[in-house]
Amino acid sequence: MSDKKISSSSTAEYFSKNLQQVGFSSPTKAVLTTLKEAVDNALDACEEHGLAPEIKVEIERLGPGSIKNSERIRVVVDDNGPGIEADDLTKVFGEYLASSKFGRGRCTRGQQGIGISAATTWAQLTCAQGAKVTSKTKAMRKAVSGMVEVDIKNNKGVIKNRETFEWDRPSGTRVEFVFDGRIQVNGEAGILNYLLGTSLVNPHLTLHYRLPEQEWQKSPRVTSTLPVIPEATEPHPHTMKLGEFIAHSHLFGKVKVSGWLKKGFSRISDQVMNEMAKEPKNGLAKGIFDKNVDQLADGDFTKLFTAIQNTELKPPSTTSVLSIGEDAMSKSIQRIGKVDFFSVVTRKPTICDFKPVQVEVAIARLEERASEGDSPVQVLRFANRVPLQFDKSACAIVQAITSVNWRAYGLGQPKDALPQGPYIFAVSVVSPFIKFKNASKETIDASDELVEEIRRTLMQAGQKLSRYIKAEDKANDLEEKIRYIEQFGPILVEGLARITSAKEDQKIRAREGLMKILGRDANEAKNQVSEANRKLEIQKSKDVTEEEVEE
Amino acid sequence: MGLRTGNRKGGKAQNLIPQLSIDLCKKLLSDLEKGKRPVLHATKCALDNAIYNHKVGYLTPGNKKVATELNVSSVKKMSRAVFMLEILLRNIETGAVNTKRELYYISKGEIKGTPMLKPLDFTDQPESDDTIDFICELLESYREDMNCYANDRGGQTYSQQLVVTETLPDGDIATIDLSMLGTSPFQPKNRPQNLRLTAKKKIDFALIVESEGTANTLVANGFTKRNNCILMGSQGVPSNAVRGWSKLIQDHLKIPLYFFGDLDAYTMQNIYRTLKAGSAASLIRNQDYSAPDVRFLGVLPEDIKKYDLFDYPVRENDAQEMRSLKKADDALKNDPFFHDKKNKGVADILRWLLKNKRRCEQQAFFSVNPKDPTMPEKIILDKIKRGDFV
Repeated sequence: MSDKKISSSSTAEYFSKNLQQVGFSSPTKAVLTTLKEAVDNALDACEEHGLAPEIKVEIERLGPGSIKNSERIRVVVDDNGPGIEADDLTKVFGEYLASSKFGRGRCTRGQQGIGISAATTWAQLTCAQGAKVTSKTKAMRKAVSGMVEVDIKNNKGVIKNRETFEWDRPSGTRVEFVFDGRIQVNGEAGILNYLLGTSLVNPHLTLHYRLPEQEWQKSPRVTSTLPVIPEATEPHPHTMKLGEFIAHSHLFGKVKVSGWLKKGFSRISDQVMNEMAKEPKNGLAKGIFDKNVDQLADGDFTKLFTAIQNTELKPPSTTSVLSIGEDAMSKSIQRIGKVDFFSVVTRKPTICDFKPVQVEVAIARLEERASEGDSPVQVLRFANRVPLQFDKSACAIVQAITSVNWRAYGLGQPKDALPQGPYIFAVSVVSPFIKFKNASKETIDASDELVEEIRRTLMQAGQKLSRYIKAEDKANDLEEKIRYIEQFGPILVEGLARITSAKEDQKIRAREGLMKILGRDANEAKNQVSEANRKLEIQKSKDVTEEEVEE
Repeated sequence: MGLRTGNRKGGKAQNLIPQLSIDLCKKLLSDLEKGKRPVLHATKCALDNAIYNHKVGYLTPGNKKVATELNVSSVKKMSRAVFMLEILLRNIETGAVNTKRELYYISKGEIKGTPMLKPLDFTDQPESDDTIDFICELLESYREDMNCYANDRGGQTYSQQLVVTETLPDGDIATIDLSMLGTSPFQPKNRPQNLRLTAKKKIDFALIVESEGTANTLVANGFTKRNNCILMGSQGVPSNAVRGWSKLIQDHLKIPLYFFGDLDAYTMQNIYRTLKAGSAASLIRNQDYSAPDVRFLGVLPEDIKKYDLFDYPVRENDAQEMRSLKKADDALKNDPFFHDKKNKGVADILRWLLKNKRRCEQQAFFSVNPKDPTMPEKIILDKIKRGDFV
């Protein structure tokens, strides 16, 4: 044996040494991740409490940073949310895995309670100061503020300079980080893209933001309807592992096994248990379902678990997923710029890889990008309404987009590549259990089933889109036809008249006849344009239903 | 001018073209006056409209027509055709002659001078070529009859007996005695209709050699001195000049014609078949541009064994030859020429080539006796004598 002592380290210690795993792998990513974590928390909190979120984001350069190639950055995120109780501030901003959301199986943005504490840690490591937090709940008479830091050795948050004061609002939270990072405003991984995406998939959000050396911008909400976050359903046994299964039983104790299975899981019924008991291959002890859970031996759990895995169960329920909705997206898409036309599709929730999933797609053509006919479309990816901005090519969404034949819908597309043109493709995947490729939630794992589901949604959106493109093509076609008639009609008649030495009156009659003939073609084209437009109108009337819009 | 009168089964004679054109344009104009949509019918020049009858001897057009209806999509094509027709008619009238490329530039010049015509402008030569071809198909005429000539490639001819009489455009007559040309060849023109052939002495046969170089060699080694014959180099795929010239030799001199070329799929389909029966693309003029009597002297598959010739497998990376093999397969299935039982021998050679995937060049005859430069001549004469041809 070595005489070195084996010591255990705290979660905070682990993450402080491995911040690259949670989105702090470069100065540029540090800015985006900090911003993202703070905004996610604000949005989640507002939705949880039924408040329409109004968020202010401010990003500033303070000077050169301490690490190479970095600047000192200040990021402020200020919301009108429910606020955080004074005692909880240290937990939220200074403790890892202290989350109200961990493993609940709900479609919230945050899941584990790592992100914002990691942001505090990064600020602490690079600038020796944590998160400057101000918060007030409705129940608090005054707001509380202070500097929250992570006690890395003990995975505990500590608050310094704590003070209380009168605040100008009933509730809310304001968090300010000063840290080393680098600001990238434009481009796929830019802050602007993040803000654009966030406002797109959060139609109920009013967003104010100020980027360095710029004025304040406001993107008002387009709907006052808040998304309803469905309650989580009980876990489906086929998504569990043996250890989880046993651990799950500890929550129950002196309950009959049948009760535990029925209440603690979805899709297990008396009928299912009867079938399991009858199947000799399962080798289940007689009366096992009537035993109390805490009486089961390890071997019983294993047999029970195997029996369940071998039994055909209904797939999990899809009621736990949340959708943005076609109406809300149709409005929200107008916020990303001057849109020529757009197409949105919300698929029914479905099961992919045994997990409930809902896919939504919005495709819009932007007027200001009309000149970018040959460049690939801009892709906005969302997982649980959080923009994904890195490692595009490995993502299920991008793989699904490239797998579709967009030429069939009237878009240009090189082989095995993204389609081209002045379009934005926004694809949102919502699921209580999104499988990411890494802890920093940058890429959705591309399983065959998920890619296929996204692909179908995209194809539906493509079909809708193609109506617009067709109507436009037909209109161009008509223009072209009319131009042709005007140009070639006289040339043809003149040429024929010269060869045949025709008289002037013949020429006039021929010209009139030609115009009549070609005019019929143009009328035909005109009818096609009207027909294409009619189809488009039907589609539009199906897409958009009335909804009260605030502001 | 007016060199040929009467209506041929293939193309229309040049003197008929102006009137045909005027009639066509009058019909178009009168349809337009009535508000009726004019339709132009052009002969379909493609293999699926080619008919072969060994009694006729060459590929002729079937009944298939390509109809072009005047509508918004075709108004440009028709306007261009009428525009180009005017230029061609002017050429016929004045006797001016041009190549396709020259006509492309002439049309560019016309358009430059008349802004109204701007929409007709050709962006490149294939566009104006298509327009010329379209006119030929409409009028069922050769472009040569429209005074549009290709470069006179191939057909260099040697003979000690042949005399050519040429009627020049101005009516003058030129007489060329090929025996007076020394080692220089006679170069036939694209319009063989202006030529008359006579023999000073009985001519026994005409030999058409695929390789221009080998034709030269045979002459240099005294082939034409020793034999009463006509010897011609075809220089690969026979040009219109070579095809028309061969037809003329066949018709005027009534002598046997032999083709001597490589044993490969390309030679069989693209060179020999075109020389003997014309091509699908030129259905309307095969009558005057093919020599149905020409026989394939070799290299025959059996020659390889008989003379122990050097042959070699077709290389996978020889794109042209691989394509030809693929085409040979199609030809055996779809080409009426190879279907005809009279041409079974030629079809059998194609089948042999497809099966064995080997080729043998005509120059391989030089390997039979390297020390004897007249060996190829001896073999050729021997083959003719023994009827060893297809």
